[in-house]
Formats: sequence, structure tokens, C-alpha cells
Amino acid sequence: MKSNDSFSQTAQAKNDKKLFIEQDNFNENIGRNTLFWLLMTNALVLFPLYQDATLWSIGICGICFVWRVGIYFGKVAAPPKLLVTSLAVGAAATLALVAKEIGMLNALVNLLLLGYALKYIEMRQIRDVKVVVLVGYFLIAFALLERQSILDTIQLLFVCLVNTCVLISVYQHSSRKINLSFGFKLFLQSLPLALLLFVVFPRLPPLWLAPSMKNATTGLSDEVSLGDISKLTRSPSLAFRVGFDNETNNTDKLQLVPNEQLYWRALVMENYDGTTWKQSNFRKNEQRISYGPLPKRKLPHTIEQSNPYNYQVITEPTYQKWLFGLDQSFTNTEQVAELNDFRLFSLRNIDQRFSYRVTSYPNSSLELSLPPIAKRINLTLPKETNPKTQALAQQFAKDYPLPRDRINAMMGYFAEQPYFYTLSPPPIGANQVDDFLFDNKAGFCSHYASALVFMARSSGIPARMVAGYQGGEYNPKAGYYSIYQYMAHAWTEVWLEGQGWVRFDPTAMIAPNRILDGFDAMFAGQDSYLQDSPFTSLRFKEIPWLNNIRLQLASLDFYWSVWVLSFDEERQQQVLSELLGEVNSSKIIVLMIISFSIIALIIAYFAGVFTVRPKQDPIIKRYNLICTKLAKKGYSRNTMPPQAFATFMHHTVSEQQPQLAEDFNKMTEHFIALQYQQLSDKQIEQHQILFKRYFRKVKMSL
Amino acid sequence: MKKSVKTEAHYQPKPKWYTRFIPQRIKQRWGRWLNKRIPPNKQVALTHKSIFILPSGFGIAWFMLIGVLYLFGTNYQNNLVIGLSLLLASLLHTCIIYSYKNLAGLTLTSQTPPETQANQSIAFPVTLTSKAKPDNKHTSHQQICLNFAEQRHVRLTDIGESSQSSITFTPQERGRFNPGRIKVSSNFPLGLFRTWSYVDLDIHHIIYAEPKTSQVSLTSLDDDNSSEFEHGKLQSGVDDYKGLKTYVEGESLKQVAWKQWAQGRGMLTKEFAQPEGKPVWLSLDDTDGNSLEQKLSKLAWQVNVLSQGQQVFGLALKQQVIEQNSGEIHRKQCQQLIALYGKKITDATVETGVNDEK
Repeated sequence: MKSNDSFSQTAQAKNDKKLFIEQDNFNENIGRNTLFWLLMTNALVLFPLYQDATLWSIGICGICFVWRVGIYFGKVAAPPKLLVTSLAVGAAATLALVAKEIGMLNALVNLLLLGYALKYIEMRQIRDVKVVVLVGYFLIAFALLERQSILDTIQLLFVCLVNTCVLISVYQHSSRKINLSFGFKLFLQSLPLALLLFVVFPRLPPLWLAPSMKNATTGLSDEVSLGDISKLTRSPSLAFRVGFDNETNNTDKLQLVPNEQLYWRALVMENYDGTTWKQSNFRKNEQRISYGPLPKRKLPHTIEQSNPYNYQVITEPTYQKWLFGLDQSFTNTEQVAELNDFRLFSLRNIDQRFSYRVTSYPNSSLELSLPPIAKRINLTLPKETNPKTQALAQQFAKDYPLPRDRINAMMGYFAEQPYFYTLSPPPIGANQVDDFLFDNKAGFCSHYASALVFMARSSGIPARMVAGYQGGEYNPKAGYYSIYQYMAHAWTEVWLEGQGWVRFDPTAMIAPNRILDGFDAMFAGQDSYLQDSPFTSLRFKEIPWLNNIRLQLASLDFYWSVWVLSFDEERQQQVLSELLGEVNSSKIIVLMIISFSIIALIIAYFAGVFTVRPKQDPIIKRYNLICTKLAKKGYSRNTMPPQAFATFMHHTVSEQQPQLAEDFNKMTEHFIALQYQQLSDKQIEQHQILFKRYFRKVKMSL
Repeated sequence: MKKSVKTEAHYQPKPKWYTRFIPQRIKQRWGRWLNKRIPPNKQVALTHKSIFILPSGFGIAWFMLIGVLYLFGTNYQNNLVIGLSLLLASLLHTCIIYSYKNLAGLTLTSQTPPETQANQSIAFPVTLTSKAKPDNKHTSHQQICLNFAEQRHVRLTDIGESSQSSITFTPQERGRFNPGRIKVSSNFPLGLFRTWSYVDLDIHHIIYAEPKTSQVSLTSLDDDNSSEFEHGKLQSGVDDYKGLKTYVEGESLKQVAWKQWAQGRGMLTKEFAQPEGKPVWLSLDDTDGNSLEQKLSKLAWQVNVLSQGQQVFGLALKQQVIEQNSGEIHRKQCQQLIALYGKKITDATVETGVNDEK
């Protein structure tokens, strides 16, 4: 007895132990699969952000990652909590100190990165895993601020998927492959609803001015030394793209706007100190006060509103604030100011692809009455420089008393004299304009523009330099223009009584092709923008079929920018009205409810909610059918096992219906064989055939 | 009847802090409502009627993340970030369906629990069957937690077509025991939602008294006068020795004649004659002990020992008498009588949050 008792006790203990293994607290251990997915996510989430991370953050993230790999392979233990805490405090303190320097948003990203990396090594519980996953999504969002091309989006979507797999691996104990495929399935099934929400969900204007990323600026700068633009002509990168409504909406995508109309104003330089052109402080002040009430210009007179251009500009990040537009440009986009020098100005740094809509009235006059301060600024020249040019200007003033004639004569002067348009002009000395006008006689747009402004001002006509871009590469696949950095240009604006500011481009006198047919008609890519960039798709321009592919891909990216990146309220209305006709809230609610339930049903179907219980084995079904038929005849099976029932039947029926008894016996025999015996495939087949045969016989005789 | 049960060796999760703020009346009403909605049954299939879904704490954090991302995307006028937040929202929606599905279609069947004694962990075996296609890994039921209210849970990682599990309950005192409703819960697939159900498998278990080693004391009992003993006590082991017979496998090793075995005569068993004369009785009155529980424990032990020895005996607990007999069924009857002695028949109350009132 005693032995038995002790045995039962040990059995109980064993049982307890077994249960103990089964019973685990949800929040305790992190599974190995989860650790693997965490490693993957960590690398994938951090990689797209390397540009924003300081060297220090990258270092710490790297160490944390290597440590975690060590933990994964069981080489090192988890770091002590004190070390992690002190590292975190140290890193945060350092970041707080350098926050001013690198910018608020960058500091925030770095702080998140460090928090992510440090939390990642001291993870002990499922709770920590969840925190890491949530922060991971936030970091992905940060990466999306800077990376918005289709490929980047796909890449980051994949990172999202891997991040979700971390969670899946916590709740699904399967192989990694199954985790991944399940995650993929979840994402795929979530996409339709996400797309619908994307279209329907209201787009709000920015609620407050958020800090922006600081980064090296690209494109034009607000100070132009004469050599600057030639540097830009070496750059094949995209500056911005423009889609004119009348071209993009056209089915045949014909180019309707001539190249010489495409003067994209970006900056107005009114201050010249003898070496560089700058924005005047007066204008800078105007920029500054635009953070108060948003400055908007008055619309031109209705007569001047003829032939307007409506277009959408999608600019690449410049990390500057000026935008591009044709004269005279107006916009409704949030946080974009219309300044008095006819520029468009964004209140925030363009640190991501930015889209805005512009309406331009090319026939409108600019500033018919010039305020005295502007007049003074636009007549000021550095004293006692460029004496020869000044003398030439006096000569023009004497010969042509009317400002209009004088300017035309000056323009004519560039055409008559043997001036030469080149992207690599010879160096110039202290008297820039003199050296250029009388000695070198070779230069490019900013040289000519600068010389013309100088002459105009010294002859008493208010004039200024405008910097921006000229022209654009028309993509006939999607009907839009790509403006590259190498299309940077500078021209002159002269104020004439009764006409306002009038554009004069001396470059057009020397190199008319540059203006009429664009930069590419004038220069070979090899000599300019392809020089420093061996790997750019612009090289394919020479090869027609490759160029075709390039344009296709570029138009895909354009559509992506227009329909996804800059999908705003206006586009939303457009899409909804196409879907629903007249848009009202009740229609939208009905649309939402219908599509919501359809999507839910589809997901439920794929999730297996509607899977019916697997059908009963046909053999059993048939056997039961016979049994119920027999029961109706009074031969109830009750709880008898098949064998016993067959014997019972044999005894009771064999006298009246020997054939039936025989058949039923045979049927039962095969039934038992199929149900309870280990059979080879061939045997199963044989038994099934025989079972069916006897089943039919029994059924017939019943 | 309150008895402090030593449970140090056993893990018992504390009841949630907020449960004490819920008034008893509401708990009762909740229990009644559950009984109507998910009536007790030996076999319960989970359907939409019996499944509850609510976002977990993590789900709420996820909600907040969606909000923050939407704000972030709005402030930076970045459609991709807004898109990401909407995708995460859509994922939430997908997860509701998957978490529902993870419980829906699951069938729980109660099995007869093994014999349990007081102050011993109880394991209630349950069979879970699924109607999911076995070939589809994604639609099977995963990460199912089973537990009684405020009891340790069992987690099943994958049910497959069917699975067996034992749900434990902390040691209880002897008597009838209804463990209440089983909480079937899961956080699958992303932990955003908690899906659960309270299933009552109509378990009525009898916990035997804890056996306490003592001497076997049998009494001859007069049928007419139960308090009068005409015969003296018969010590066990004084039964008449009848002879030797060959050992049959399965017989108690205690009765093997080891002396003869040592002499090389092979395995032999000592055979004892069934006690003759007056039948023997186990009687509560005649058992020593400080308390009723102790006495009952000793009786329980004796019942086991006597049954082991295949002796014929009867059990007398005051007025309740079981006639002499032997064998397993007899043993169970005796144990049940001991277990229920002094307990009200309706005493099926368990201090759980979701028990059924009967």
C-alpha cells in the first residue's frame, strides 16, 4: 500500500511538473523566433535613417545590434540595467546639448533611435518587445518623411511587415516562414481598407508648425556669386516637376506651353556688393513677417487674367524655403506665402517632396507703381567699381533717353558684340562686370544678367537680377515637365514706367537656342551635367529605347507624386465625385459601410471563419444510412458495435431474407476493415469498392 | 466551513485589483446572464454568441500610435505617413476578424477528472477540437489560454485538429466541487485584441478526503445496535494463512513469499483466507482523531488499504451506512460517502468570479 501511495504521489508530482512547464506566464520569455525577427527589424528600421543619425548614434546603434546578435547566439549575457540606464542618460544629455546645432527634428530622431537601440538590448519581457515594435513604426514614419519614391515606399512597407512579424512570432509558434507568410497575408488583406480610408479620410491642414529636418541645402542659394550657377549646371538631379492642367489632362499629352515661357522664378536679388548678388534686407524682412498673417498678393485686373496657367508643382526637398512659379503666380496651398517680389515662399523648410498648386497670369503686369524704397534699392550700385561699364551706361543714357529704348539698345549691344556663351568662362578680377564685358567677352547667364542690371542701374533704370530655372524637359508619356538643377538660370528684370517689372534675358541674345529649345539644345550633357555624375539615368537620353523606358518610369513616379504624395482635399473631391457623382456625407457613409462589410467578409472568408466542419467520412455516412433504414424496419442498432450488430442481424434476418443478411455481413466486414485496420492504399481501394458494392445491394434490398 | 489550506507550493494568481469594487449583486447578475447565454454543457462549441472581443492594453497603445502618426503626417503634410497610420488602423480591423476566428469553431469537451484528494492540485482534463482545415497553418486555433477564474492558466500553442489539456485548480477541501467557468482566451494574432469566452463544462467533481496513514481498525458491527460492539477489534494481518499459490503477474509484491523465493522455489504468493465469522466494518465512531476531518482522513486511508487487499468491509458514518462489499466500485462509493459527509448536498459554491448559481 505504502509503495502504491508513494507511487501515486510521484506521479502526481510528475504531473504537476508537466503542467508547470505548460503553464507559463505570457509576459515572461521572449521566444527565439521573436528574437530573430527583432534582429531583422532592428537592422531594417535603422538602415533608412542613417542619413539623419549622428555618428554617435550610429555607433551606439551598431554596438547594441552586435550585442543583441551576441545574445541571440548565446555568446554574451544581457547587459546590466545600470549600464543601459547610464548610457541612455548620457546619450540624451549629449543630444540635448547639440540639439540646437543639428536641429530639433534631427535631435528627436536621434533620441528615438538611441532609445530604440538601448531598449532593444535590455529587452526582457514581451512588454518590452511591444514597446520596441511601436517605436519601430514611428521610426518608419520618420523615414517616410525623407524617402517617398515608389521603391522607398515598397521597401519601408516591407520593413513594416517585418516589424509586424515580431508581434506575430509572439503569438504564433510556427516557423519563420509561416510567420512571414501570415504577416504578408494580414498586410495584403488590410491594404484594400487602408486604400479606401486613404481616399475617404479627411485631410486636415497642418495643425501647428512642426520643426523640420536640417540638412545640407540643394539647388539655388540666396547669394549668387558669378560662378555659382555654373556649378549647378553640373548637377543632373531633379529640382522639381510641373504638370500643367491642360497638358496632363489631355489625352494626347501634347506640349502646349513653349519653352521660352518657362521662366521659373525662385529668388530675386537686389543687392550687389561688387562680387555677389544677394536678397536685399528689405525683402528678407518681408519673408520674416510672413509668419504673421500670411501675405497674399492682390489678384491682377480681370483683363490681365486672360490665358492663365493652372499647374501643380512637385518640388524635391531643397531644405530651403523658396518655391518656383511662373509670373505672376498665385497659390491656395496652405503655408505658402505670395511675396511682393512675386515669389512664392513656403513657411517651412522643404525637407520632403512638396506639392503645391499655382495659378499664373502671364499677361499681368508686375508692380505698376514702385515704392520709393524699392526704387532706391534697385538703383544702388557699389561706388567706384567697374568704371568702364559705368561709362558705357552713361553713353547709352545719352543716346537713348527713353528707358524702354535704352534697355533694348543694351540688349542689342550683347547681340552685336562678339560675346560668347560658355559654361566654363575665364576667371574675372576685382571689377567683375568690366572684366567680363570688355576683356573676356565670355560667360553664362549670370554674367550677362549681372552686366545688364549693372548697366541699367548706372543709367538710372531700376533693375534687378532674378534667379530660378529656365525651361524643362517635357515628358510626353504623362505630360509634365521635369526641371533639373542644370536648368538653373539667371535673368534681368527692369522696371519701366507704366509697364512695371519687365523681364529681359540677355542670354536669349547670345544663345537663343538655350531659351527657345532648352539647355539640352545648347550643350551636350557630357560637357555639363553628366561630367560629374557617371551614373544617372539621364545618360539614356542618347539611346531612344532606353530613353523611352526612362520616361515611362519617370512618368510612373510623377503619377505617384501627384496621386499619392500630393493627394489633397482637391484630389479627394475629384476622386469622390467621380465615384459617387455629387459628394455628400450620407453617400460617403453608405459607401464606407458597404465597402467595410465587403472587405470584412472577404477577410473573414480567407481567415477561415466560414469553414464548415469537414464532411463526415462517406463510408461512415453510408453505414449510418443503412443503420437508420434498418432501424425503421425495427432492427435497431442502439449502442452495438458494428460486429455485434452484424451478428445480431444475421441471427434475426437470415431466415426471412438470407441475401440481405449475407450482404449486410459482407458490408460490415469491409466497413470494419476500412475503419479499424491498418491498410495499404491498394487494400483501401479494394475494400472501398467492395463496401460500395454491398452497400448498394443492401440498400436495394431494403 | 473555512479551513486554511496551505498553498505555498502552488502558484495562484491574485485576483485583479478591481474585482473587489464590483458589488456582489452585479457579479450574480452577470453569472445568471452568462448561464442563459452560454448554458453549462459537457460539450460547448464557441460561436459568436459566446465570444467576447475587446482591445487589449497594447491595442489601445496601437490606437494611440495611429493617432500620433496621423497627426504627424498631417503636420508634415506627408501622405505616406498618413497612409501608414491608416494601414495600421486597417490592420486593427483585420485583427478583429482573426482574433474572433481564433476562438470561433473551437469545441471544448470535458473529460472525467481523475480521482483527487483534498489539499491536492486538481487537474480537469479537457479536449479541444477544431474544425479548421489541418493543412492551413494560418486558420488553426493558436495560443489558446485556458484557466478557471483566478487560477493558473494553461497555454496551448496550436490546437491542430484536436488537443488534450488539463486545467489546474488549487487544492480544495473535500466534498462536492464545481470549479466554475473556464475562461478560454487568446491574444492571437498581434496581441491587439483579447478574445475570450467563459465556458461551463458542467463539471461536478467530488474531492475525496485526504488519506491519513493510521492503523486499520475494523469493528464488528451489530446490525440492530450500531453503537454496541460484541466482538473485539480485529487487527489486520491476523487473517488465517491458507497456503501458497503460484504468483500471478500483477499481484501485490507484499504478499510474495520471499522466503520461499530465496530458497529457489520460485515466485509464490501467500494466500490468506477471507476473514470468516462476523463481517468487518469501518466506523467513524470507532476512529481516533482530534477532529472530524482527521477521523475522516483516517477512514479514507483505511478504505484504500482494505480495497487494495481486496477485503470485504462496510462503512458506517453515523446513520449513513454502506453494506459490506469489496472491489473498486465499492471503494469509490465509500470514498464519496466520506467526502460528502457533513456537507450539504447543494454545497457547490466556489469562490470564483464567474460561478453559476444553482
